[in-house]
Amino acid sequence: MTELSPLSAVLLLLWGTIVALDLVSVPQAMLSRPLVAGTVAGWLAGDMEAGLRVGVLLELFALDVLPIGAVRYPDYGPATVAAAALAAGAPWEFGLGLSAALALVLSVIGGWSLQVVRRFNARAIQHRAAALAAGETAAIRRLQYGGLLRDAARGVALTAIGLALAWLLANHLRLDRPTAVGLTLVTVGSGLAAGMSGAVRSAGRGARLRWLAVGVATGILLAVLR
Amino acid sequence: MAIVLCRVDDRLIHGQVVIGWGQPLGIDLIVLVDDQVAASSWEQDLYRMAVSPGIEVRFMTTAEASAQMGEWQANGRRALILTGDLDTMAALHAANPTIVHRINLGGVHHRPGRRERLPYLYLTDEELRQLVALEARGAEVTAQDLPTSPLVSLKALG
Amino acid sequence: MTGGWRSLLRLIAVQGTWNYERMLGVGMGYAAEPLLKDLQTVDPVRHGEAVVRSTEFFNCNPNLAGLALGATVRAEYEAVPGAQIARLRTALCSPLGALGDQLFWAGLVPALVGAAVVGAVLGAGWWAIAGLLLLYNAVRIGTGVWALRTGFDAGMRIAGAISGSWIPRAVERIGPVAGFAVGTAIALSAGWYLEGFGWAGAAGALAVAATGAAVTRWFGPAFTTVRFALLAIGLLAFFRWVGL
Repeated sequence: MTELSPLSAVLLLLWGTIVALDLVSVPQAMLSRPLVAGTVAGWLAGDMEAGLRVGVLLELFALDVLPIGAVRYPDYGPATVAAAALAAGAPWEFGLGLSAALALVLSVIGGWSLQVVRRFNARAIQHRAAALAAGETAAIRRLQYGGLLRDAARGVALTAIGLALAWLLANHLRLDRPTAVGLTLVTVGSGLAAGMSGAVRSAGRGARLRWLAVGVATGILLAVLR
Repeated sequence: MAIVLCRVDDRLIHGQVVIGWGQPLGIDLIVLVDDQVAASSWEQDLYRMAVSPGIEVRFMTTAEASAQMGEWQANGRRALILTGDLDTMAALHAANPTIVHRINLGGVHHRPGRRERLPYLYLTDEELRQLVALEARGAEVTAQDLPTSPLVSLKALG
Repeated sequence: MTGGWRSLLRLIAVQGTWNYERMLGVGMGYAAEPLLKDLQTVDPVRHGEAVVRSTEFFNCNPNLAGLALGATVRAEYEAVPGAQIARLRTALCSPLGALGDQLFWAGLVPALVGAAVVGAVLGAGWWAIAGLLLLYNAVRIGTGVWALRTGFDAGMRIAGAISGSWIPRAVERIGPVAGFAVGTAIALSAGWYLEGFGWAGAAGALAVAATGAAVTRWFGPAFTTVRFALLAIGLLAFFRWVGL
């Protein structure tokens, strides 16, 4: 983790909040994709390359999520922001594993926090059930703004916890090199498993599965030629 | 056995039904039992659009379904019977108690008077009593929205 | 269609009050308000009923919500019986959820994200990120405008308007594209991460990947890949702690 100026810390907190809001509430513009969230966070923390390394790895995990209907899923956005801040300023081979581990824990907390916000939203609706049944548009607006505010509060809290944990890990945990490298290899391996199982599950048995295989072959070729 | 799931879900056909249950259970026929939908061709058009090409959808009234159920049980297709409300499923159970034996509550949503029992299950006390009576008549009623989520018994809902 | 643009803007936050009781209901009501405004002067009683209906339970892919919003608002102006509008809303949840999720969440998003990962790994940097954001948002905003217009023009004839539109064809075509992009991205990023660790390190990571894929497949979706990752991290920490 690089030494963060107060301005960068505030900007990271703001970015984490925007990213958290983007996932479900607004504007759903894909800012919350780990690739985007992580690269921007890395740049804010002074190391875009580290942010990109973290972002691509968490993106592999995110490819395993299909937000269909009312399923519960981890929230990788703010988690990736905190992880990118932790990874910034160190060689990625040693920093990536610990950062990804932090992100995975935070993403589970993030998914749980989404459930909490949804419960509070339902409670607010029950509270205004009479106004809704009477067709009061002011009540609809207030509920909507309340929901957005709750999600924003979730984002601030989640990012703040993430950045605090990143700071603690950076200042109080000394990993020896084999452990740090081992963590990187284990998280990269798990990320590849996540990406692949998500891809296979979405592929079904038809043309998409064949094109997935062609894609994997192309990717191997590109990796060799690069 | 050819009827693999009897589900009550007021959203009728949607992602959880088609992808969530349809894929792992290998469903190739969805029988949507709803008297109003059976009489409305524009609604049928909309529901049909939500299903992937490998699955056939049939729309039936409660009476038609009750009469033909034995036939599906005998042929080799893997069918999912879907109703939008508890009354229809209770009627199907009354007509064919051995076939409609295990009943899955997959989604009954909020309406005035209903209370939350599970995130996807809202029931009035009267509806809960109706379900208990259904079990007393031999059915096995459980709640589960997706195959991956926990199975909840009727007793735990009270 | 007065209020169309304001409704369109509000649709961007259609999931702003997501909850298990009404799902997108309140967000739909919020987006419907500007479109229903004219009804208030024509028929205040009907307007009140329409507002109540607009906030009831609703769920679909947010990018296609405009089709339902446009169609139901049109039906309200045409004084279609309320019970029928309620049935239309319920029935629309099905195709708009299924088609929209396949088109966006399982189609366009993995296709563009996969392409952006490939671009980023090959050194495109910010261009990859900007391309992803610009392309995705151009498509979803274009779709949003089209959806609200098409829904409003069709009203109760919405089923034909959807099945005859570009959406079902796009759903069919996007799948293979997404599969190809994601496959390329995963294989390429595997090489990008593992090339610096030597054969033993790379083989170890790939062994973890194979174990993860096998284990999560064996135990079914209840054992998620995140859980596998946390378990693997925990095991590594344990082995290092006991001194292996």
